[in-house]
Amino acid sequence: MEPVRATEIMAVAGARELRDGEIIVVGLGLPQVAVVLAKRTHAPRLTSLLEIGVVDMNPVDTPVGLADSRIFHGATCWSGFLDVLGMNLHRGVVDVGFLGALELDRYGNINTTLLQEDSGKVRYFNGSAGGNDVASLAKRVIVILRHEKRKLPLAVAHLTSPGFVGGKSRAQLGLRGGGPHRIITDMAVLGFDSQTHEACLLSVHPGISAPAVQDNTGFPLRIPAQVPVTPLPTAEELRLLREEIDPRGVYLR
Amino acid sequence: MASKVKHVSEVVLTIPDGSHIALGGFAIARNVITVVHELIRQQKKNLTLSQCVMGMDTDLLVGAGLVSRLMVGGGSLDRFGLVNCVNRARETGQVVSLDYSSLSICFGYLAGALGISFIPIKSLLASEVLERLERGPGAQNLRRMQCPFTGEDYLLLRAITPDVSLVHVQAADEEGNCQIYGPRWENEEQAKAARRIIVIAEEIVPTEFIRQHPTRTIIPAHRVEAVIHQPFGAHPTSVYSCYDYDAEHLQLYVEHARDPKRMQEYIRKYIAGTRDHSEYLEKVGGQAKRDALKADPVLGY
Repeated sequence: MEPVRATEIMAVAGARELRDGEIIVVGLGLPQVAVVLAKRTHAPRLTSLLEIGVVDMNPVDTPVGLADSRIFHGATCWSGFLDVLGMNLHRGVVDVGFLGALELDRYGNINTTLLQEDSGKVRYFNGSAGGNDVASLAKRVIVILRHEKRKLPLAVAHLTSPGFVGGKSRAQLGLRGGGPHRIITDMAVLGFDSQTHEACLLSVHPGISAPAVQDNTGFPLRIPAQVPVTPLPTAEELRLLREEIDPRGVYLR
Repeated sequence: MASKVKHVSEVVLTIPDGSHIALGGFAIARNVITVVHELIRQQKKNLTLSQCVMGMDTDLLVGAGLVSRLMVGGGSLDRFGLVNCVNRARETGQVVSLDYSSLSICFGYLAGALGISFIPIKSLLASEVLERLERGPGAQNLRRMQCPFTGEDYLLLRAITPDVSLVHVQAADEEGNCQIYGPRWENEEQAKAARRIIVIAEEIVPTEFIRQHPTRTIIPAHRVEAVIHQPFGAHPTSVYSCYDYDAEHLQLYVEHARDPKRMQEYIRKYIAGTRDHSEYLEKVGGQAKRDALKADPVLGY
């Protein structure tokens, strides 16, 4: 079998963070893959919500994003923002918000809006869309992104979606949701210290060392004495990802 | 009731320069392309656009230089790329972009649709999205306050009341009863918040058909001012149960939109250089292309 790709480890680590029966608002990209995988393995009673107005997606073909009819097909309910982000997320019933990010900092603040190049030129990206709403309101937030120093800076270039801003608690910030819970990268899984709200290392992926993770992180990581290794995807998880969920490698390339 | 079916050019003539238009597309789905093209052909100016998630519709209007202000939640063309023209216009300051989140734009429309002047929300707090809005011209639409009953902190959003809302739907009758099949994102709130509602329908169906499936009617006739009948009117974006997005044309568009000069070539070739949507559809592949994109009746794409 082809060796395991980093994106596959990320999707599987993401899926394993989701518990059966939970309600998840899913963002663009790898989170879509992770949620479908969780649903088809250990969490069959999981309910996914897409901001566009799709409840409990069950795609038979890989969609290219949130606005692809491939993700509308097979849903149990079609609604819209007001239902998904309003009457579910804002109402407080969403367990997990699952997001991607351009940048994420030590307090789990997310940037999806802009980057500043070395020349000083600002480049814009997608903006918030539902990202700010999800990060503000979900009970816990999981973020998937590539592990690069520039993507994990001390402070984000633009604070689109709040984590523990300035190390403050969510109550101090006036936010209802519980805030960032897990950061899943292609090197490691990170969590947050319950006192200081700073990111800490929870596990490294097979073949990756804790110092290598720190070298590729733009802020000081809390590293425990014994760092566990993220379990590898099982043969069945890989089969589902490669043969059913994303056979053309739209997300897992 | 008299038929409200009108030609797109006749409808666009009634939209003045400086109008606030709410667009009903989401990324690469159900964009109001046929009206966007006509707005560009008629060279409207100084438009304000609002939308939860921008797609090719907004990107084209900004790329053609028709827009001075945006009120948006976000924007993308899914895996095809970014809204390059919008982003370039933000970078150069060509447009004033008031950037919110999806839910805050939707709540603004909801307030507008309900006839209330503001609405409280628990999003945007403690973010730079809010700080930027409060530093700029968006400040007049925002206040912070505590709930008079519980003391909880809220952001208050002023209602969004567009001059015109444009929505592309699968089916409408001649009187304007509109049926949407598939997710509806902000279409209902966006439409009902506006002073005028204009719909573009893939298909005109008999009122009797509407009466057989009334739960699919999202915008009833009494609110609708005009119906534009345009099959493949959202091309190259998708319309669930009618046709898929045109991946080839979206890629071609993104390649052009990355560069301002090439973007003008795109506009000249496909919009200014075509008389109407039929001529545009011929230019992008004609009947063979339409047959290839036509949705499978079971899958819906």
